[in-house]
Amino acid sequence: MAQQPLPSSVQPTDVYGGDEVSAIVLDPGYINTRAGFAGEEMPKQVLPSFYGHITSSNRDVFGDQAMYPRADFEIRNYMNRDSVVEDWDAATKIWEHALVNRLGIPRPTPPSKNGLNNKPKPAAEGEDVEMADEADLDETENYEKPMAENPLLMTEAAWNSPKQREKAIEICMENWACPAFWLSKTPVLAAFAAGKATALVLDVGGSNTSVTAIFDGMVLKRSVQRSPVGGVWLSSQIRSLFEASEPKVEVVPTFMVENKKPVEAGQPADARLKTFDFQISPSFRAYEEERVLKEFKESVVEVWRGPGRYLAPGNEDYAKNLPGRVFEMPDGSNQMWREQRFKAAEGMWDDNAAFPSATEEGKITKAQTVPGLIKAALDSIDVDVRPALLANVVVTGSTSLLPGFTDRLNHELTAMFPSVKVKLHAAGLSSERRFGAWIGGSILGSLGTFHQMWISRKEYEENGPGIVEKRCK
Amino acid sequence: MTSRDVHDVLNLPSDHSGAPRPSKKQKTSAPRPNLKGLAREVQNLGGDNPIAIVPEVNFFKKRRFATRKPVAKWELKAFTNSARGDDGALVLRHWKRRTDDGAPPVEGAQDGDGQQQRGGGEGTPASERREEKPEDSAFAKYNVKVVVPHYTEDQYHSNLQNNDWTKEETDYLLELAKDFDLRWTLIWDRYDFTPKPPGGGGDAANGEDTSTAVVPAPKQRSMEDLKARYYEVAAKMMAVQKPAQYMTRPEFELYEMMQNFDPEQERKRKQFALNTLSRSKDEAREEESLLLEVKRILARTERFNEERRELYNRLDYPATDSDINSFKTSAGLQNLLQTLMSTDKNKKRKSIMPGEGVSPSNNSGVPNSAVSETNPANRRESIAASATSNNHHHHARRDSDARTPATPADPTPTSAAAAAANKKKGGGAQQQPERRKLTQQEEQVYGVSYHDRLGSGPTFRYEKINKLYSHKSGQQQLRITNALSELDLPPRLVMPTAAVTAQFEVLWGAVTALVDLRKMSDRLDGEIKIEEAKKAERDRAKGIAAEKEGGKEKGEGGGGGGGDGAAAAAGEGEKAGEKTGEGGQTKEDGEKKRPGSSGSLTAAGHKRSASVLSAASDKSSKRQKK
Repeated sequence: MAQQPLPSSVQPTDVYGGDEVSAIVLDPGYINTRAGFAGEEMPKQVLPSFYGHITSSNRDVFGDQAMYPRADFEIRNYMNRDSVVEDWDAATKIWEHALVNRLGIPRPTPPSKNGLNNKPKPAAEGEDVEMADEADLDETENYEKPMAENPLLMTEAAWNSPKQREKAIEICMENWACPAFWLSKTPVLAAFAAGKATALVLDVGGSNTSVTAIFDGMVLKRSVQRSPVGGVWLSSQIRSLFEASEPKVEVVPTFMVENKKPVEAGQPADARLKTFDFQISPSFRAYEEERVLKEFKESVVEVWRGPGRYLAPGNEDYAKNLPGRVFEMPDGSNQMWREQRFKAAEGMWDDNAAFPSATEEGKITKAQTVPGLIKAALDSIDVDVRPALLANVVVTGSTSLLPGFTDRLNHELTAMFPSVKVKLHAAGLSSERRFGAWIGGSILGSLGTFHQMWISRKEYEENGPGIVEKRCK
Repeated sequence: MTSRDVHDVLNLPSDHSGAPRPSKKQKTSAPRPNLKGLAREVQNLGGDNPIAIVPEVNFFKKRRFATRKPVAKWELKAFTNSARGDDGALVLRHWKRRTDDGAPPVEGAQDGDGQQQRGGGEGTPASERREEKPEDSAFAKYNVKVVVPHYTEDQYHSNLQNNDWTKEETDYLLELAKDFDLRWTLIWDRYDFTPKPPGGGGDAANGEDTSTAVVPAPKQRSMEDLKARYYEVAAKMMAVQKPAQYMTRPEFELYEMMQNFDPEQERKRKQFALNTLSRSKDEAREEESLLLEVKRILARTERFNEERRELYNRLDYPATDSDINSFKTSAGLQNLLQTLMSTDKNKKRKSIMPGEGVSPSNNSGVPNSAVSETNPANRRESIAASATSNNHHHHARRDSDARTPATPADPTPTSAAAAAANKKKGGGAQQQPERRKLTQQEEQVYGVSYHDRLGSGPTFRYEKINKLYSHKSGQQQLRITNALSELDLPPRLVMPTAAVTAQFEVLWGAVTALVDLRKMSDRLDGEIKIEEAKKAERDRAKGIAAEKEGGKEKGEGGGGGGGDGAAAAAGEGEKAGEKTGEGGQTKEDGEKKRPGSSGSLTAAGHKRSASVLSAASDKSSKRQKK
């Protein structure tokens, strides 16, 4: 009767599925915005989603190199903590900066001028290797639009609202004149990057941790679970840890230190701080402190690997005997961190172990921990697919790079689902974990079979921005 | 100095234990590789392993001018994707190797040519003409869609009404099924049907009414509900488009599967799956160990049964008390082989396989004690094998095999025999493949029917009809054709399909029966008349005689006459029924019980008619079978 799609086992494997059309993949996140060409293995441009705003001249500056202390300087972010774009004007600017200025989307020089097709020296026995002269005058007018040549594949959070999606296609089509557009959800792409079409994606990102079930390349909407337990939350936990430790640890960002002298561990810092003749805005200071904390996370914090929780009797004593790590603050004060470094991240797994947070949003419940999220996600979907999902757990997001994270996750999952085979798929390469969604987008955008999916300019013009809801399901 | 010399000096045993240095001369005489410019002593240092010498090359790798292939040319080619269904509105570009159609053509010339062929009637402006029509993507062919059932409004109302589902919701479900390619997990995940408030026109007319009216809350549908509804719709539409008997086998299977979908069972299954998932580790382990235990127990019983069977087989072994001396000579063995071969041939050599033990059967009289047999078939197989192997033995070692005629001493002939037997068996299996059992539905679909016996060669069906006539006398044929023409039937069928001829035969049988009956009843009537006439005559005569003798003989004469008539009638009946059917017997019984009067005779005749009819239909059905 119906011609069903071929199961993967009988699909022809001799056809190379790639067909690159120089599409661009844009993957905005709360911490970073990634951009690059589809088909490449890493995003060419990774720039912070934070941007500088100079209040005096009402000017925005983008990129890391613009973030230095200056007068009337504020740090803002165009995304909110839900990983949803909040400030669309800034978003447009920062994306354009990333794509046009930094990615340098080539405005193709006519082949007659690009020097590649110059006649070879007559030494080569007069062979005629001349490329056809493809100079096409009609095309030159397209060069004026920034991205008239390149289809754009954008990512979004799984919980993005229809309004946001429409806005995205509007910018792409109206401002940049892209020939085609596609909007894909990050967990789907992360699963693609891991080579899975059906997977349970655990994305431990900067501002959010989300668990999403992907079935045959589509998000199961009921399964989407998220909580603020991400990198930023972990930073707040570390701040609490610093507050609680004896003596208190002061976070002095790097830009404030002019000169420092080495001191013994646990001794107060001996450093001369810079003075600025203008006011440093709190947002800039917070941004810089966050960078210090990021380094601390990268080099000190570790996840208790299990089995069992960190708070289980005996484990803490054992952790105390493990070798500690020294961390030196930018001002030179340093300290050995032993069992505390396990405690900082334990809140992700065990709500009882989390440091009490001053703010309301810093508090988490049991359902917001990583095991809680996974359980909730699995409970909300059909029982038939659960084993398949548990056999394909994809771990992505840079906070998942904490040492011991996957070990702990494995222990928690096997404890939760003893009768099912649990298999984690966590990329070994740190960049693959950091840019999982972008890489998935890169794969998707360079697939030959994907090109039938693009929302073309014509379709947009005929149907308006509402088409994105209809097509990108 | 060679390694051999070293061996000699050190008094080591040479690895070539032959004569000392036998090969030296041969070696030198053998063509050695061209090691020019190297002293013989130096060469000999290598001993048995010649020194590897790499020739020095003092020039670089040559450039490959030989092929003279021009550099591969790539071009940025536009392409469309026909799977998009937007008539090529999206034109993307990718790098493609330029195809080898000679020298790169001058762009303008080629385009002009192409355009003249293609776009002559379109009247496109010259600037657009320059653009070639982009090729279609090679990936468009992978775009496959599922087919979901379609229905019209009428079809819905006549077939698909359901109390639980509105048409709108059904439409919505089918739309989703199409969008998600029947992935039920996704369909259920995205299923979000909100029924429209009833009556758009009524809405405007009385606003307050609708505001207070109960808006049906969106129902929470389980995946089973969705599936059940979809399969219901799909199965019904399938049957509407193609009645079940015309469906092909996969279609019918699909149809049946969809019809038999049981949401309740599915729900239960999911409940079980849920329970299985939520087992604790201990439970899982316990179950696993239990399963292992069961497996072990089963294996043990099997082994036990096996052993017991073996034991029984041994106990079953029948002793031979006939003399085996006749087989102890080679001639006797040859004899035995011959008989075995012939018996084997008689059994159509169904299979000749050597059993695990070679064991001549007991009736042949060759003793065998060590090997047990599992079943008679196996036994026969092993006979043959042993016979062949024995044959080989016989020729190989005449003297020794007389003592041990039945042991498989020599493996090669046995295995050869086994191979031959295998081959034969394979051939037999190919000749007689297992006939597949057809189901009722398939028989109906394929038009398979079973016959007792078929004549050779093709026959026409109307000939079969004609054959029916040929048995009858001309008078009867005429009557039959008359009867048929009364029914407006042509004597020869216009379209003698199998069904028509079968029906015609039934009809024909009925008609012949009718004709026979009429004939018989005519005859009986005639006889009755004669008898009555006789009786009247006799009465008249009696009337005269009564005056002389009285009424004594009267009953006797009447009875005798009646008996006569009955016998004749019975003979007729048997003739008509061709001595088949029990009806004839019962009828005769009836007549024996009530001999005599003419009334009973007619009754018997009527009864006979029924029996004849049944006999005739029996006959026709038999013919049909033939």
